[in-house]
Amino acid sequence: MKQRREGFRPATYVLFLAVTAAALVLCVCLGSVSLPLKDTLRTLVRAALGLAQDARSLAPSIVVPVRLPRVLCVAAVGAALSLCGAAMQGLLKNPLADGSTMGVSSGASLGAIIALAFGVSVPGLPFAGTTVLAILFAFGSLLLILGVAYRLDSSLSTNTIILLGVIFSMFASSVSSFIITFAGERVKTIMFWTLGSLQGSSYQNAAVLYVTLAVCGAILLAHGRELNAFAVGEDNARNIGVYVRRVKLTVLICVSVLIGVCVSVSGTIGFVGLVTPHMLRRLTGPNHRRLLPASVFGGAVFLMLADLLARTVLSPRELPIGVVTSFVGSIVFVYIFFRSRGR
Amino acid sequence: MSRKIIALLLAALLCVSVLAGCGAKQETPAEDASPAEETTPAETPEEPAEETPAEETPAEETPAEEPAASVTVTDMTGREITLDGPATRVVALSAADCEVLCALGCGDALVGRGEYCNWPEEILDVPVVQSGADTNIEQIISLQPQVLLMSTMAQTEEQVKALEDAGIKVVVSDAMDIEGIYTSVGIIGKLMDKEEQAGEIVNGMKSTFEDLKAKAAAWEGDQMSVYFEISPLEWGLWTAGTGTFYDEIANILNLKNAFGDVAGYAEISEEQVIERKPDAIVTISMYYGEGPTPVEEILSRPGWDVIPAVANEKILNLQNDELSRPAPRLAEGAQMLYDFMYGE
Amino acid sequence: MSMLQVSDLSVSYGGSRILDGVSFSVEAGQWLMIIGPNGAGKTTVINAVSQGAPYTGTVLFEGTDVKTMKSRELARCVGVLTQNHYVGYGFTVEEVIRLGSYAHRPGLFEKGRDDSEARVADAVEKTGMERFLKQSVLTLSGGELQRAFLAQLFVQDPRMLLLDEPTNHLDLIYQKQVFALVRKWMDDTGGAVISVVHDLSLARAYGTHALLMKHGRTVDFGPIGDVMTPENINGVYGMDVYDWMRTMYGQWVQE
Repeated sequence: MKQRREGFRPATYVLFLAVTAAALVLCVCLGSVSLPLKDTLRTLVRAALGLAQDARSLAPSIVVPVRLPRVLCVAAVGAALSLCGAAMQGLLKNPLADGSTMGVSSGASLGAIIALAFGVSVPGLPFAGTTVLAILFAFGSLLLILGVAYRLDSSLSTNTIILLGVIFSMFASSVSSFIITFAGERVKTIMFWTLGSLQGSSYQNAAVLYVTLAVCGAILLAHGRELNAFAVGEDNARNIGVYVRRVKLTVLICVSVLIGVCVSVSGTIGFVGLVTPHMLRRLTGPNHRRLLPASVFGGAVFLMLADLLARTVLSPRELPIGVVTSFVGSIVFVYIFFRSRGR
Repeated sequence: MSRKIIALLLAALLCVSVLAGCGAKQETPAEDASPAEETTPAETPEEPAEETPAEETPAEETPAEEPAASVTVTDMTGREITLDGPATRVVALSAADCEVLCALGCGDALVGRGEYCNWPEEILDVPVVQSGADTNIEQIISLQPQVLLMSTMAQTEEQVKALEDAGIKVVVSDAMDIEGIYTSVGIIGKLMDKEEQAGEIVNGMKSTFEDLKAKAAAWEGDQMSVYFEISPLEWGLWTAGTGTFYDEIANILNLKNAFGDVAGYAEISEEQVIERKPDAIVTISMYYGEGPTPVEEILSRPGWDVIPAVANEKILNLQNDELSRPAPRLAEGAQMLYDFMYGE
Repeated sequence: MSMLQVSDLSVSYGGSRILDGVSFSVEAGQWLMIIGPNGAGKTTVINAVSQGAPYTGTVLFEGTDVKTMKSRELARCVGVLTQNHYVGYGFTVEEVIRLGSYAHRPGLFEKGRDDSEARVADAVEKTGMERFLKQSVLTLSGGELQRAFLAQLFVQDPRMLLLDEPTNHLDLIYQKQVFALVRKWMDDTGGAVISVVHDLSLARAYGTHALLMKHGRTVDFGPIGDVMTPENINGVYGMDVYDWMRTMYGQWVQE
């Protein structure tokens, strides 16, 4: 019998890369300030070649320092969040699992708020304190939610997970509010922090995101087969020889690190991890050897376009990107829920 | 059954998450405009000192005067409120009302303050009361004020009714423009039996503004543009557009608000600031004594070097709400901005 | 050396003992039936042997303690077929069957090649799943789904099958198919089978040995004929099972 290829062909990856690159170019060429396409492209080419920029044009001041790093960060955050969503949905055999529905993002926010409120920092790396605590709290939240969920209902049904996620989110926000109340002069900083902003994204932010995405993303992608087994059923996974505990721990750590880093760069952006894997599953099927790579590219494209809307719809004003993703996400969320109940 | 509960919970979650996205953003600038952080004592010792002695004299005269008969005021929502006599115990929820009270020399009458009231420094010893959804009605009642001063949105109607049932008169002062400040100073002056001082304050403000307006109009150079930065880049840029005190002061000073096409407080694109090339930047970011100062931070932003304000380092850092509150201090803020823009 | 040697197996859950000192052994070519009334702990034996539940005591597979085995190694020794399957997503039948080859795939840094390709074709053919291969598992009936997982188990190619009431909800035709397939697998590979069954007639028809349990303890263990005696069975079930069975099956004989 002929072995059907499980993963994508190289040609498909070329297509994915082309679509992502096209979205990236589109998002760099469009923005709140409309620049002539020619100027934008010339600026990019000159920057890439290290040539001096045209001092009379506005493009060099906007494209390279402001727009490009933001689009790069948005793409990485989108890729990371939807990869996490796809991995969690497979691991827990639950199509509604995601950083935001399970309270992991709220947990990461809480960690970052604690770092800001109590001035936790790593010497020499001023932003590392928030990132590290965001990661630790993301992981702690996951362990807590899953631990309680297993005790209540070992099958980890949709209802249990979602209810616990909602409860935990509320708990984490109440603790955050409590800390903000007592944080004194740092209050304002923290209040803005909980909202998060992609404005001011720098190349350093992008570098941190891409390194994390490369490491954790590669580990997650290498676990496609194991995630398939989990998506069929955790018992089945153990029966066919998957080292259940180790795989679960590895996936959860990677997810926590990715969500923690994303939250510390951009704040919480809801529903990306829910929407993109769901839409992509209709194209790729549930097989994680296809779904995971598709989520990386699909998530990047989805969030870049959502951010483009956020930047341009009300220009010169900006919409918080979470408004765009939550709007689309909420509709898809209810749709999935009713479909899965109706079956 | 359980399906319904879950569906309801989900619906609630969605509403909360969507609203959190929109609602929070809209609220923040208002809070930001009268920021919550307490003024660092070390930074502002002189200014209240200038203010207080001038106002203290009339304050001491008060007991000598005959206690007036009943006082009736019409507050800024048009409600008529009658007191048996001038108020001697007042709770003020908005920072501006606290400032007006103190400017009238009635700081001693303040028995409770809203959480964002932080000026002048002396009132920091006054007990803080919560406003909005967290209002502790019992706490306000226990302070036994005759009058509660608040802005329109501070309390719900039920809360106002509960307070009035407890014999506390609620007076709304909600100045949306400079004219409104004059009105609110007048109302509070009447409440406190300080109409004369109120008149002096209003006249002082009017003459300052007229003076500045005349001097600025005489400026012979090109009209300068200014960009008001309410929130720094790290948290998303917010600016003050039309309908804010920043914008009104800019108009008086013959300055062009770089974001005069935006209504109210709004998050705006970094690209827009670079494109609009303001001649000056006013930032209200706080400096906590570590890392770069707000001015240094703006100077270091990539791509901003083409903005004249950045190239010429024309950046003013106002940390004490000088331009955001409907209070007499707005005139001082306007003077500071004038001095900064046009030189002494 | 026995293929599987279980000694003094005990399992506790939430303070109560579900299994209490159960011992038995299985040799190649044997089919051990675990029988007993509800709550006897039959399924727990399967779970403990397949490392799905914490236990005390020892389980040796050909002399090796299974606790020390790696997951894949264990999966090449014993394979489990459970009663119910709820697949979360619409995987194709082929994808589910191919998952059985997991334990035979060389790891990232291991040498060797996957030799399971031939077994996939063979398992699909044996279980008659060819026409379902591209279909979503969500569209299968209970009997078809059980055959798909049996095919996965054949691809996994363990030395011993553990079956936990595999035909409980199935029509007679599927019951017959599944048991016939397992018998054929045993004859072809010389492996061993342990199964939990409720139906005592099925146990007698297919088993070579039996483990009779009640309240987590062994009542009797040995060749099927020695264990399934009227005294043993009637005692454990607290009723005259033989009389009942004769009444039930007698109806069919007369036609």
